Amino acid sequence: MDKRRGFTRRQLLRGATLATGGFIFADLIPEAWAQTPPKLGAQLIGKLEGPELIRDPAKWPKKFNEAPMLAELVKQGKLPPVEQRVPQEPLVIKPVHEIGRYGGTLRRAFTGPGDSENGNRWVSSDKLLFWDYTGNKVVPSVAKAWLLPPDGKSLTIYLRKGMKWSDGQSFTANDFVFWYEDVFLNKDLVPTPHPDFTINGKPGSLKKVDDTTVTFEFPEPNYLFLDILAGSTSMGGGQALWQMEGRTMGAYTPAHYVKQFHPKYIGKDEADRKAKAAGFDNWVAYIKNRWDWRLNTELPVLTPWKTATPINTPTWVLERNPYFYEVDTAGNQLPYLDRIQLTLGENLEVINLRAIAGQYDLQERHTAMTKIPVFLENRDKVGYDLHLDPALNGSDATLHTNQAYDGDPEVAKWLQTTDFRRALSMGIDRDQLNETFWLGIGVPGSIAPSESVPYSPGPEARKKWATLDVKQASALLDKIGLSKKDGEGYRLRSDGKGRLRIELQTSAGAFIPHTQIGEMIKEHWKKIGIQADVKEHERSLFFTRVASNQHQIAVWANDGSEVLYLFPRHALPVDPAECNLGRPIAVWYASGGTQGKAPKDPQLLRALEMFRSAGGKKVQERYKIAQEIWTILVDQVYSIGTVGQSPATMGVRVVSRKMGNIPTREINAQHCRTPGSSQPSTFYFKA
Amino acid sequence: MLAYLVRRLILAVLTIWAVSVLSFVIIKLPPGDYVTSYIAQMSMSGGYVSEQEAQTLRREYGLDQPGYVQYVRWMKLVLHGRFGMALEWKRPVVEVIGDRLWMTMVVSVAAIIITWVLALPIGIYSAVRQYSVGDYLATFVGFIGLAVPSFMLALVLMYLGFKLFNANIGGLFSDRFLLAPWSLAKVWDLTKHMPLPALILGLAGTAQLIRIMRANLLDELGKPYVVTARARGLSEMRVILKYPVRVALNPFASTIGYLLPYVVSGSIIVSLVLGLPTVGPLLLRALIAQDMFLAGTIVLLLGVMTVVGTFLSDLLLLWIDPRIRLEGKQ
Repeated sequence: MDKRRGFTRRQLLRGATLATGGFIFADLIPEAWAQTPPKLGAQLIGKLEGPELIRDPAKWPKKFNEAPMLAELVKQGKLPPVEQRVPQEPLVIKPVHEIGRYGGTLRRAFTGPGDSENGNRWVSSDKLLFWDYTGNKVVPSVAKAWLLPPDGKSLTIYLRKGMKWSDGQSFTANDFVFWYEDVFLNKDLVPTPHPDFTINGKPGSLKKVDDTTVTFEFPEPNYLFLDILAGSTSMGGGQALWQMEGRTMGAYTPAHYVKQFHPKYIGKDEADRKAKAAGFDNWVAYIKNRWDWRLNTELPVLTPWKTATPINTPTWVLERNPYFYEVDTAGNQLPYLDRIQLTLGENLEVINLRAIAGQYDLQERHTAMTKIPVFLENRDKVGYDLHLDPALNGSDATLHTNQAYDGDPEVAKWLQTTDFRRALSMGIDRDQLNETFWLGIGVPGSIAPSESVPYSPGPEARKKWATLDVKQASALLDKIGLSKKDGEGYRLRSDGKGRLRIELQTSAGAFIPHTQIGEMIKEHWKKIGIQADVKEHERSLFFTRVASNQHQIAVWANDGSEVLYLFPRHALPVDPAECNLGRPIAVWYASGGTQGKAPKDPQLLRALEMFRSAGGKKVQERYKIAQEIWTILVDQVYSIGTVGQSPATMGVRVVSRKMGNIPTREINAQHCRTPGSSQPSTFYFKA
Repeated sequence: MLAYLVRRLILAVLTIWAVSVLSFVIIKLPPGDYVTSYIAQMSMSGGYVSEQEAQTLRREYGLDQPGYVQYVRWMKLVLHGRFGMALEWKRPVVEVIGDRLWMTMVVSVAAIIITWVLALPIGIYSAVRQYSVGDYLATFVGFIGLAVPSFMLALVLMYLGFKLFNANIGGLFSDRFLLAPWSLAKVWDLTKHMPLPALILGLAGTAQLIRIMRANLLDELGKPYVVTARARGLSEMRVILKYPVRVALNPFASTIGYLLPYVVSGSIIVSLVLGLPTVGPLLLRALIAQDMFLAGTIVLLLGVMTVVGTFLSDLLLLWIDPRIRLEGKQ
């Protein structure tokens, strides 16, 4: 590139292409990429590292320090001294690189009131248990410790002595009892028991042992419950995630605050009167608004930062919680950062452009993989680093075949034929997809999760039915009775109604361009004589079509499925809320066989039965079952994998060089609430 | 005359009611509802919603009821001046729109002023100097302005602004004024951010107006009254500005009907690209999220604005043009 001129034609073009998004960009990238060393993508992937928890009390700090802004308040008598705010048994964290310094406002972007995950992933340390930075080990968080007895019928949680809510009130077992008795068991708030708090359809219960001990009990062994509490699930997700947007779960709630809106404590008339006065239809709507941490700045929380300016304004501001329960190894109360300021960017291109211009200090959301070349071009001029955090799931753009499709009997028959699906899978040139859309960073292959997770069925699953083989694919199609072709070389339907056309349903506005990927696959399938029709839909229409069982093949990711038990919906048809493999089957599974439609495929049926049985099994056995399920899924190819283990979803991290304690690579996974497991409370401004 | 006005008024109210029904129907038309789009958005951004929650949400927002019940519910709210709750924003619709209405008006008015300030002189010039180099140049630039999509122009200008001048990208305020209360400094900050969006928003309209002005003026220039004025020895400048330009300006008065809704909605895509806190992006968002009360209220507002604007320009024409007045009497 000619450096003498102000800007070159290519730079101008690149700026212009930002407008039109990924698909034009995709044409430019291989050329831009070719000028740089081919392994540049790999250079941006660092070593997985993260903060450690110090669980040995002998190594804990004896004296506590606090942020200057709080020290000032203590001096003015508005806040008790730090020793009285931090629990006697704090969570002690050894930051990933060094002890940080206090202060500063972190600037980020969010896309509007629906972008809650942008904030609550940062404050997710209000979970009871958590996963460490490797994503493989459960560690304490709000809970000090836990006990899972050999019979697996209960799980006891020990809380930290002296732990407090952000308003200074004590956090005790009573907050759990209140949640269980007055929220979970209240039919107005929770009409049906939540599957995360049941085992084989039977609900669990909660019991207070003493002020700092609670026990979850189940009628049957439920070893999985430990993972559920640590995972990003409705029981373990914490208050910040599960008591917002009308949600009712989360296992605990600030009883002393929420009681003033609850009919059991103030009477139904008074509760409704309060709601009406605040402009709500009834007390249920009002109480759900009051315990929403993003909207109610008065709500007591356990998170490192609490909302200071609500999410439904142009700037969402989070401010430090003076009672936060974590300290570093030097005794500094965390978090280091005073504030997180999220500014509204309604257009993703603008967010990316602002990130490139250095207007954000740390942004790992809405930053697109296709913009990597432009990020790299400006990083030294502006002073930020680019980190790529590959995820652990097998395939970012996955072709989920609808196993319950009934719109066109001929197409339905083929979608439910194993060899047909295998042939489709072998007809895809994944290397070309990888080069074009994943900049060569992704891993081509099947839907199986990364070999680094214990659920992985082994390395051979990566390539199984998942490498380009036109000859074998064609032979398979000929064998199953699709040997007749028309003049253009496309295969004909067996019912004599012309060419066999398969519809690929894609959605607009995903992290990676599903539609353009679909178009490329369409070209690949020409070679095996299959006509694909790529149909793009607005994303809620995409969901509506899936929910009404209208799609043939839906293109979506399979993120989260690497930890199969905590987030199965992208691998197995088990969750009616989102089910690309066929909603009738998911309804059948979730209802215990009373509604919906059982799958015809015996292999799929077997996988679902194994999945149902796993909750009552111990961890090693669960791993084994998951591996077997994955083996079936890979061999039967219900979902066709393309390219995965890439940073496409939340893995393109733009970080100002002023920031410290930033892991060179962080774990990028649903259950780790990325960047939650990297403990954002330890991030800081160096100067 | 009075009867004509009353009839127009009744028609206007009926039209507004029809707009409210239509807007609600249009918003309910696509399959799915707010909860579907909420699930889709959560899934897209790495979050998730369970089946139970989806059902609870639907019940809570009344989405499980038939469409006409929802419409009646909304209408009741509208008649009480409350317009309901914006589902996604969790705030009353009035508040959500209110915050942005003023910003929208400021931006749009600035754009309109820029449009007129540019278009009128250029239009006059290219009519008076028809087929001159200047005319061709203005026409050429005008057509480019019309042909290039303004969102594209916005992005290119923003990128160049960042690349060459290290300018702020998008928005109407600098970081430190975002949360600050109104002050002189904040107004100045706003003024500094205004030219770029106003120019981009105004440019497409400018090209159009240049052509209208040019064509209208060309029609007038050859007419006898112009020749007479010139023959009486008035200076050329005075001849043009005093008579034919005034006549040529007539169409501007009658387009006020379209101007009013424009002032509110602005140009949606450009506002989106420039990250402007205006009503336009709000409407787009509300439509995508199927946030019916919010979208319905904005569409209703635009409808009302159009009706009121048309009414106003009718009155204006009535006053200006006796032929219309006479027609109204029949």
